[in-house]
Amino acid sequence: MAALVTNAFGHGLGSFWDAVVAPESLAALRLTLLCAAVGAAVNAVAGLATAWVLVRDRFIGQGILNALIDLPFALPTVVAGVTLYTLYGPLSPLHVNITGTWIGITIAIMFVTLPFTVRSVQPVLESMTFNAEAAAATLGASAPRIFRTITLPTLAPALLTGTGLAFARAIGEYGSVVFISNNLPYRSEVASSYIFSLTTSGQTSAAASVSVALLVIAFALLLLFGALSRRLSRGQR
Amino acid sequence: MKRSPLALRVLVLVYVGVLVGLPLGFVFQQALAHGMRALAAALADAQMDHALWLTVKVALVAVPLNVVFGVGASLWIVRHPSHFTRVLDALIDVPLAISPVIVGLVLMLAYAQNGWFGHVLALWGWHVMFSYPGIVLASVFVSLPLVSRQVIPLLREIGDHAEQTAATLGAGPVRIFFTITMRSITWASAYGVSLTLARVIGEYGAVLIVSGNIAFVTQTLTLDIGANFENFNTYQGFIGASLLALASIVVLAMLSAARHRERKRHEHLA
Amino acid sequence: MSILLNRVTKSFGNDLVLDDVTDEITQGSLTALLGPSGSGKSTLLRIIAGLETLDAGHVELNGRDVTNVPARERQIGFCFQDYAPFYQMSVFDNIAYGLKVRKMPKSQIRREVDELLALVRLESFTERYPRQLSGGQRQRMALARALAIKPEVLLLDEPFAALDAQVGGELRSWVRSLQHELGITTILVTHNQSEAMEIADRLVILNDGRIEQTGTPQAVYDEPANAFVQGFLGPMTTLRGVACRPHDIELCSEGQGVTATIIDILRLGFETRVVVGDADGESSWVQLTHDQAQRLDLAVGDTVSLRLRAGGDNAPNPVERSR
Repeated sequence: MAALVTNAFGHGLGSFWDAVVAPESLAALRLTLLCAAVGAAVNAVAGLATAWVLVRDRFIGQGILNALIDLPFALPTVVAGVTLYTLYGPLSPLHVNITGTWIGITIAIMFVTLPFTVRSVQPVLESMTFNAEAAAATLGASAPRIFRTITLPTLAPALLTGTGLAFARAIGEYGSVVFISNNLPYRSEVASSYIFSLTTSGQTSAAASVSVALLVIAFALLLLFGALSRRLSRGQR
Repeated sequence: MKRSPLALRVLVLVYVGVLVGLPLGFVFQQALAHGMRALAAALADAQMDHALWLTVKVALVAVPLNVVFGVGASLWIVRHPSHFTRVLDALIDVPLAISPVIVGLVLMLAYAQNGWFGHVLALWGWHVMFSYPGIVLASVFVSLPLVSRQVIPLLREIGDHAEQTAATLGAGPVRIFFTITMRSITWASAYGVSLTLARVIGEYGAVLIVSGNIAFVTQTLTLDIGANFENFNTYQGFIGASLLALASIVVLAMLSAARHRERKRHEHLA
Repeated sequence: MSILLNRVTKSFGNDLVLDDVTDEITQGSLTALLGPSGSGKSTLLRIIAGLETLDAGHVELNGRDVTNVPARERQIGFCFQDYAPFYQMSVFDNIAYGLKVRKMPKSQIRREVDELLALVRLESFTERYPRQLSGGQRQRMALARALAIKPEVLLLDEPFAALDAQVGGELRSWVRSLQHELGITTILVTHNQSEAMEIADRLVILNDGRIEQTGTPQAVYDEPANAFVQGFLGPMTTLRGVACRPHDIELCSEGQGVTATIIDILRLGFETRVVVGDADGESSWVQLTHDQAQRLDLAVGDTVSLRLRAGGDNAPNPVERSR
């Protein structure tokens, strides 16, 4: 790890900065962050809904649903990547083509990050008793109100942690994104594939620089979400 | 048990079904699209078979290594805390947040011929980059936290009273470990091992950089699939993808079983 | 096995948990380490067991210095407050564990475990698993497991704390009779003074890492060494500024004692508490038995006279303290 940092800065702070703010780099970073943010946000909502349905309901196929959630964890990224490309790309049987678009990338990210949000909310939901909500109901609160004021705040810390993880994972995602994105520099190139091209073309210090930048962003995100999550859970004891 | 509104249920099922289920089904549909004979021929493809074999060989080394490390480190961190273990704990979680491409880059910087360690290792005839050891190293790195993250919270929750009791009954540390400790973390470890296995056979980005993607030599199954697609051998690629998808489903079943057994263990703590 | 503690001192970080503790425990006795939370009693027990190291002083078991001997070689039996069952093993295997460690032949193990199961009355639970047992049953299993290795001393850490009143009460008397029958030196840690007084031959009262007093339950109750011991072992109230026990206040004929009005009467089954207040606003309470209260036929608002019972010595005595 130390090697990475020294290599990034090995040619001086100036060249580090140059590499990071090179237009291609910025474009890639911007695109990555955008797609990751959207994907993570969608999955925050979807994850909550899914966890809810898994924990507080009983229906046929629930077990399969539960197992399916883990699939993106277990499935190799490249399998997801080529499948999504074929499914939604030029050869698509559904006659859609979203390759090279931010939507395609975002869908790939949504696929990969779903387990994070679901699995972080699920245990909290499972260990929640209905008592607080029942008390609110006796006081006359309506179901949506109960959800908004009681349930959601209890789940918020876990949800934030999960979303943070999802976000951090999403900005580094490679295998599942690289195919559907088509890798057009400046247009649809994700940060990770930009780093890849830098590495394979021998521009290791530039690659290292952008990597460091990406890592800093990832850790900053984790810290941010973690702090938010802790702040919220402090009021709950 | 309160039942959630039908609309929500439907919405979730559709979302997950389309997002996850559809691609999964599609993989198998594509593999079977050309009939059984084509399937058999594709399965015998030399390049893919070699890649498959390589992936298996990597898993055979990387997974046990990670399990031993994962359980050992977890025990150390929980039962003998110190400043060092706190750092170790944080470090172990690092690979989870790093892009696989960056992992590949880091390993390359460290272990290539002119890299930090590679320089020294080369003197002893050890070549890490573009070879089997490198792939194993990359695989171990990316799956490092998977076992610990399951075992550590469990060890914390269980506490060590049982182990202390066993000590008073005369058992030595080794016996205590195998008869008491391991038996209490069995299913959590199994869960972690399943995740590790999935990660190791499914790793793409890091291995792509470290191995050099040399067909028949350092190309794992994931790389093989990628290569096939890039060369427009879509069908062959989907065969490989199906194999891995099947493996993933097996892993999912293992995860489910482990989770189920772990939940049963929880019942008696009531 | 007699136990000698000599100047045992232990700190956790900056926290001094045991301060120069010295005591001797005789063979075959049932001693209770009694004290409030944080008094160091559990730590002391664990040091005797060898599950905890000490900073200074030493521990002797039967004349042998075991300060540096690890737990597995001390031949002691230890029971945790949470019983620490081996969840993955059956009741039989739990109890047999120590015997398997000693490589006893299977048939002999079977005999001894069956005997123990009969002793703790868990014969029909042989093949069950701990998760199927109630709290009291798990406790008996833990005891059987500890007794299996024929320990020279039995150490129990708050053994009855997690049980409800009835089960705990039954188990207490059972443990006491078992201990008398087997004659094993036993040390019990508790914060519950009535529990300690009920079953122990001797009390060691700890506070803040130091021994405040030791002695038989009766001796310590009647002649407390200081205000802490007095207050810890039983209820206290005041009459005219003098601290005393509520059962040492008696109601007498008018004119012979302090005049007070009954403020409240609490009937608690066997015991009745009469709360009184005197003219100066000072309140005390008197403890009467069920019979006494019935005979006296008291009501709230009655005027009564109170005095200290003759022969009850209520001021703290400079009784010998063990150091």
